[in-house]
Amino acid sequence: MTIKAMQIICLALLAALLVGCPKPPLEGYPSEAEETTTSTEAAEDNPRVAASLQLTDQGRRLVEDRRPDRAIRVLEQAVSLHPGNGQNYYYLSEAWLMKGFADQAKEFNQLAEIHLKDDSQWMIRVAEQADRIAELEK
Amino acid sequence: MIKRLAKYTLLILILGGIALAIYGWHLSVQVEKRFSTRRWSIPSTVYSDTTLLYPGQRMNSSLFSAKLSNLGYRRVNSVPSQKGEIRIRTQALDIFLNDLKTPWTERTGFLAQIDFSEDRIGTIRRKDNGETIPILELEPEEIMQFFGQERERRQLISIEQIPEHQIQAVLAAEDHRFFEHHGVDWRGILRAMMTNLRHGAVRQGGSTLTQQLAKNYFLTPERTFIRKLKELILAVIIEFRYGKREILEIYLNEIYLGQKGSVAINGIGEASYFYFGKPVKRLTLSEAATIAGLIKAPNNYSPYRHMARCQSRRDKVLQAMHRWEWITRTELEDALKQPINAVGFRAADKKAPYFIDYLTEQLNSLYRSEDLSSLGLSIYTTLDTQVQMAAEEALTKGLAGLESSNPELQRTAPEDKLQGAVVVMQPKTGHILALAGGRNYSVSQFNRITQARRQPGSAFKPIVYLSSLAQFTPTTLLSNDPKSYTVNGKQWDPQNFEPVTEYTVSLQDALKKSHNLATVDLAMKTGLDRVVDIAAKFHFSTPLKPYPSLALGAFEVIPLELARAYCVFAAEGVQPFPLSLKGVVDENDRILEHQHLNIERIIPPAEAFIMNSMLQGVVKEGTARSLQWRGVTWPVAGKTGTTNDFRDAWFVGYTPDILALVWVGFDNGDPIKATGAAAALPIWADLMNAIPQYRSETQFNIPRGVEKILVCPVTGRPAVDGCPEPVEVYFLTGHTPGGHCPLHAKDGIAGKIIKGVRGLINDD
Repeated sequence: MTIKAMQIICLALLAALLVGCPKPPLEGYPSEAEETTTSTEAAEDNPRVAASLQLTDQGRRLVEDRRPDRAIRVLEQAVSLHPGNGQNYYYLSEAWLMKGFADQAKEFNQLAEIHLKDDSQWMIRVAEQADRIAELEK
Repeated sequence: MIKRLAKYTLLILILGGIALAIYGWHLSVQVEKRFSTRRWSIPSTVYSDTTLLYPGQRMNSSLFSAKLSNLGYRRVNSVPSQKGEIRIRTQALDIFLNDLKTPWTERTGFLAQIDFSEDRIGTIRRKDNGETIPILELEPEEIMQFFGQERERRQLISIEQIPEHQIQAVLAAEDHRFFEHHGVDWRGILRAMMTNLRHGAVRQGGSTLTQQLAKNYFLTPERTFIRKLKELILAVIIEFRYGKREILEIYLNEIYLGQKGSVAINGIGEASYFYFGKPVKRLTLSEAATIAGLIKAPNNYSPYRHMARCQSRRDKVLQAMHRWEWITRTELEDALKQPINAVGFRAADKKAPYFIDYLTEQLNSLYRSEDLSSLGLSIYTTLDTQVQMAAEEALTKGLAGLESSNPELQRTAPEDKLQGAVVVMQPKTGHILALAGGRNYSVSQFNRITQARRQPGSAFKPIVYLSSLAQFTPTTLLSNDPKSYTVNGKQWDPQNFEPVTEYTVSLQDALKKSHNLATVDLAMKTGLDRVVDIAAKFHFSTPLKPYPSLALGAFEVIPLELARAYCVFAAEGVQPFPLSLKGVVDENDRILEHQHLNIERIIPPAEAFIMNSMLQGVVKEGTARSLQWRGVTWPVAGKTGTTNDFRDAWFVGYTPDILALVWVGFDNGDPIKATGAAAALPIWADLMNAIPQYRSETQFNIPRGVEKILVCPVTGRPAVDGCPEPVEVYFLTGHTPGGHCPLHAKDGIAGKIIKGVRGLINDD
C-alpha cells in the first residue's frame, strides 16, 4: 500500500468518525445525556416535574438555536410547572444574556445557583455563566 | 317656440348632466375614501393563557369540563370527526383538538385520547398513530372583546377562503345575475315590480349585492326616492371602480347575519363559527345555504329562533341553486335531507371583569381605546380561567357562609354587602392567574385588589420579622409584656389579640401565634427606621412611617402590593413584577408587545428561606393551623391578618408554585366580627382544594447560608440530651446560637438551680 493510499484511508476514516459524531453542544451547555440524569428521580415522583422537564428541553433547544424570545416563553412555562428546577433559570439567564440584558441574566443566574448547588457539574456552568454576565456588565 | 323649448330642454339636460357628473364624482371620491381606508372596525380580543395538560396531572373535573365548554368544544356520542368535538367516556376523553395559534406556538388540531385515573390524567395519546404525548397545550380562551359603538363581531376572510358553493348559495339567495349586471339589474327591478304589483305588496326587492353594499356602507336605512337614486349611482360607481370578486369579498365580510346577545354577527367568517362552529371552508352545502338564507332577515330565519322557517328558507336557497344549475339533482336531494345542526352559543357573559379592568389600565398606556375597538388586536394574558372560576366560587361561597353564620353581617342594599377579594399569582413569574376584586362586578366595579387601601394588620408582620433577621434569630426571646409607647405625644398601649401567659416568647413563636406585644418589642429593638427601609424595598407605594404601630400593620397597603411582597419569600428573595399581559399581536400576526417575567432581588435567598420556615410554622402550629383540617396537608407557608375592631380579615398563603391573597371586609369599615383565620382562610383553602393542578406538594428549596440545628424548645439554645422534645430550627449561617442548652445540660449551673427548684416543688 502506498503512502498516498494510506493517507486516503486515514482521511476517509477520519471523515467517517466526524460524520458519526453528534453535533457538539454549545460551549458551556450540558449535553442531553447529562440533562436526563438530572432530576430524573424527581420527575418519576412528580408529574409536574416531568412535564416541566419536557419544556426545559424545548427551551434548551431554542436557546441553542439562538431564539431567545421563544425560549423565554417556553422556559417561563417550565418555571410555572416546576419552580424548583434550576436548569430553567440557567437557560433563562442564557436567553436574557443572548438578548443583552445583564440584570435579568444575573437574577436568573443566581436562582440557578440556588437550585443547582448540589450538582457540581452544573455549578461549574453556572459559575462560567456568571463570568460571562460580569463581562457583559463591564 | 318649439325651437326655444328644445333649446331650454337641451340646456336643462346639459346642466343636469353636469350636476349629475359632479355629484357622481363626489360620490366616487367618497367610495374611494371609504374603501381605500380601513373598511371595518374589528374589536380587539383578550385571551386567557393556554392550558397545559400532562400525564399525572391532578384535575378538577368540573372546572375542566367548564373550560372545554368555554373553548367551544361540543359533546358528541361517536368518535369525534371534526375539530372542536369531544366524546366523554368512562375514565377517558376523546377530543378533536382545535388548532392552536399564539405568537409563540402553533399546532394543527388532531384527534387525541386522554385517559383518566381517579382524579389524574393517566396518558395522553394521538388517536391516529397511538403516539403518547408528554405535554399537550390547549388553545387560549376568549375572555372579552373591546367593542366600539357598533358592537359587531366579525372575522375577516378573503374570497379565496370561501368555497364556491357558499358563493353560489349567496348569489342564489340574493342576486343570481351578479356576474352579469353592472351594479344595477334592470331585469331584476322589473321582475320585482311585477311581482309586487301582482301581490299588491312588497314581496320582492330588486337590489343587487352591490346596491346592498352601497346601502350598508354609505346610506341611511330610510326608504325614499332620493336615497334609492343615490344607491343606484353608488352601485354603478362601485362596479366601475372595483372588480366583481372584490365587491363580493367586501359584501360577504360586511353583511349582518344575526345576533349574539347584544353583539351583532357580521360577515360569513363570523357567522360560520357562530352557527356551525367551523371555518367557512368546511361548511357543507346545506350549511352554506342556511347561512345564505339568513341574509334576507337574519333573526327571522335564525336556527336559534325559528328552526322551521330557517329550514324552509334553506330549502328555497338550495332549490334556487339547482334552478341555476349550480348543483345537481343528487346534491340538492342530499342537502335537503340534512338536518340543520347549529352548534349553540352562550351570550358572552363578563368573565374575570376585575382582571380585565386591571389589564385595560395597562393596555390604555399602550393603545388608544379607539384602537382597541377597531384594530383587531389579539391580546394574550396570564389569566387561568380555571383558577379564576375557582377563586370566584370560593369567594362567593365564603362570604355567603360568613353571612349565614353571623346574621349581623347581612346587609339589605347590594352595595353595602360584605365584600371580599382574591388574587392568585405565581410567585416566581409574577403571573396573575386570577383576580376577583369584589363580590359582584355588576354591583361594584371598585377593584379591591388593585385600588383598595386597607390596613394589613398582622399580615404585615413578616416584614417586621424579616427586618430583624440581621440582628436576631428565630429563637431569640422577645418580651410579650404589656408596654406603653408614646407616639406623637400620645400614649399607645398595644394589646395581644387574646390574653397570654407567656411573658417571654421566641421570635418564631411570636410570629406563629401572631403576638402583638412581642412583635412591637421586636420592631422597637430592630429599629423602626430599618423596618420602613426594608418595607420600601418591597415596592409598597403607600406611605409607611416609623411609628410603633407600623409593626402591627396599621399603615394601609394595596392588596396586590402585599401579595407581591409575599412573592419574595416564595421566590427565594426575588420579587416579580405582577404580570397580567403577556403579549399583543396585530391582525397580521405581527407581535407588537411582548412582556416577559421581570424579577428583582430584594433579599438574600437564605433570609427568604428563614421566613418561609417561620411562616410554615404559622400553618403547622400557629394561627393558620386550621388549614390542615380543611384538607390542606401539603407544605404551605402563610400569615393571617386581622385589623382593629375586626375591620379587615386577611390570609396570604403560598407554596413554591402558587400564592393567593384573600381579603374580607366591608367597604365602609364596619367590623366583620371575625379573624383572618375564620373569615379569609377558609376561602383560601376552598380555592386551593379546587385547583389541584397547581399543587406540586414540594418543599421550599433550602439555599446556601442556612443551617438546621436541633434546639431546646425552652431556651432556644442547641439541645442537649436532657432537653424535652428538641425541635429543628433553621438559622442563617453565622447567626446560630452558640453553646448548649444551659437548662438541661448535666452540669449547667442554671440547670442545677432549676432542678433544685423543681425538686422543692415536687417535695411539696
